[in-house]
Amino acid sequence: MKFNSLSLVLLMLTCVQVAVANDMAARWTVSGFGTLGMLGSDSRELGFTRDRTQVSYYNSLDFTTDSRLGLQLDVNLSDRLHFTSQFVFRNHAGDFWEQNLEWGFLRWSVHPDINVRIGRIGADLFLLSDDRNVGFTYPWMRPPHEFYGNLPAYHFDGADLVKTINLGEGLLRLKVFAGYTQNELATDRSDNIEFIAPATGGNLIYETGNWRARIGYSYLSGSFATTSAYDQKLDLLNDPLINALVPNANKLSPYFYLKDSPIHFFSMGATYDDGLWLMHTEASYTNTNTVLAPSNASSYLSVGRRFGKFTLYSLYGLAYSFEKTVAIPTPLIQAPALDELYQLANHTLNENAIHEQSLSLGVRWDVFNNTAIKAQWSHYWFGRNGKDLWHTQYNDPSRQSNIWSIGIDFVF
Amino acid sequence: MPALLFFLFLLMLPISLQAEIAVIGNLESTVKSLTKQEVQAIFMGRSRVLENGNFVLPLDFSELRSEFYYKLTNRPIEQINAYWARIMFSGQASPPLSLTDELSIIHTVTENKSTISYLDLKHVDHRQVRVLLILD
Repeated sequence: MKFNSLSLVLLMLTCVQVAVANDMAARWTVSGFGTLGMLGSDSRELGFTRDRTQVSYYNSLDFTTDSRLGLQLDVNLSDRLHFTSQFVFRNHAGDFWEQNLEWGFLRWSVHPDINVRIGRIGADLFLLSDDRNVGFTYPWMRPPHEFYGNLPAYHFDGADLVKTINLGEGLLRLKVFAGYTQNELATDRSDNIEFIAPATGGNLIYETGNWRARIGYSYLSGSFATTSAYDQKLDLLNDPLINALVPNANKLSPYFYLKDSPIHFFSMGATYDDGLWLMHTEASYTNTNTVLAPSNASSYLSVGRRFGKFTLYSLYGLAYSFEKTVAIPTPLIQAPALDELYQLANHTLNENAIHEQSLSLGVRWDVFNNTAIKAQWSHYWFGRNGKDLWHTQYNDPSRQSNIWSIGIDFVF
Repeated sequence: MPALLFFLFLLMLPISLQAEIAVIGNLESTVKSLTKQEVQAIFMGRSRVLENGNFVLPLDFSELRSEFYYKLTNRPIEQINAYWARIMFSGQASPPLSLTDELSIIHTVTENKSTISYLDLKHVDHRQVRVLLILD
């Protein structure tokens, strides 16, 4: 799949080169964005990440979570045909070059009101849409953790169609999309898991005056592409000797596989910005039928006010999982290897809920027209077994954590 | 006393520099005037097509850009830049092409029927371009 995705983008780049050679009037634009961010935590047991794609370093001081640099190439091939490619240098699990190639697509204006995009496209599952890497566009240090932390898909390979309609005083945008998403996810251990899913969906965005509202639905058929190391560990559960020492261990085995599992993702949100006050809110419900990633609901509300070049903001986030507890058979004898197996099974199947709330306060200072400095403090509360958005050790007892961060966002 | 007068003059200077801005288009275009809402929709990337079906291509004038967008949207330029960063870095659309001098603006608008841009009203030659809207 990696080969196919990259090949598709390379093929499109070749088409662009040919087209540009044929049309000297083509306009190239290179632009970019970035963040240099530093965060600190009061816990060395909890590894903080922006979302599931990131590796955590458990440091009390960290530069890799929020820092990033994005480069975008835009080429106008004709009045109706446009090529865009974007690469983001950032902390991402797995293949750095393949995973961080965010986009490479052709946009075709079939009609002034209808756009079709084909290639690697931003995954439009949420209100921040595909600008969640661009800190300069939002007030916070990072997108709200409870909502965005659980959404690994930044892009997918496929196509979308957008129809724009003037409705009343505002603008209605209808989008449908279909494609294939493949994301490397970091785990609490050193290995990564590859999440692959055909995805399809649609959304409506209505913009009028100071308001922007969005409602969307997506369907994914999710699978984990397991590695041989992962399979070997799971083979242990079917081993007769293990089952003699841990009765019914083999019954756990199916829980660890995700294969073509239906995932329904509903979301709605709204933003308000009158130049002085700004508000963002979103809510989502994810329905799954696997114990590995239980169904969950999440939401956030943020309110801010500008004072000249300064914006003061607050942010409250809430996430709740509807998990099912799996009974893990206890080993009949005490042995380190069996204990490790028990802990790993319990951690993966039962300590995987998201019960999290947080309150953040922060300030954004627009130093220049294209540069903002931000500082943010966030306090997190966790419910039982509810730290799945964090990297943790087995049976971690923490119920609270503080994260402070400062950073500088820029666009060019 | 002269120093005080000079200081008062400096204080007044930014106000006296506030120009009336004319949104301009091609003389041969069928578009004779635009409303503020239409100009907002065009320059904020929400629409490139007018109600009569005409396609429009906006051009920014870098020297007047901050003032133009403030008069048009009542927002400082950093908010406009953040807005465009969201649109541009989500691959939806590109911001208006920005030109750096008046002569290029006038030349481009007179040569292309579908382009619209803006100038200081005092610098508009009505034989060359049509004023579609005045922002003050």
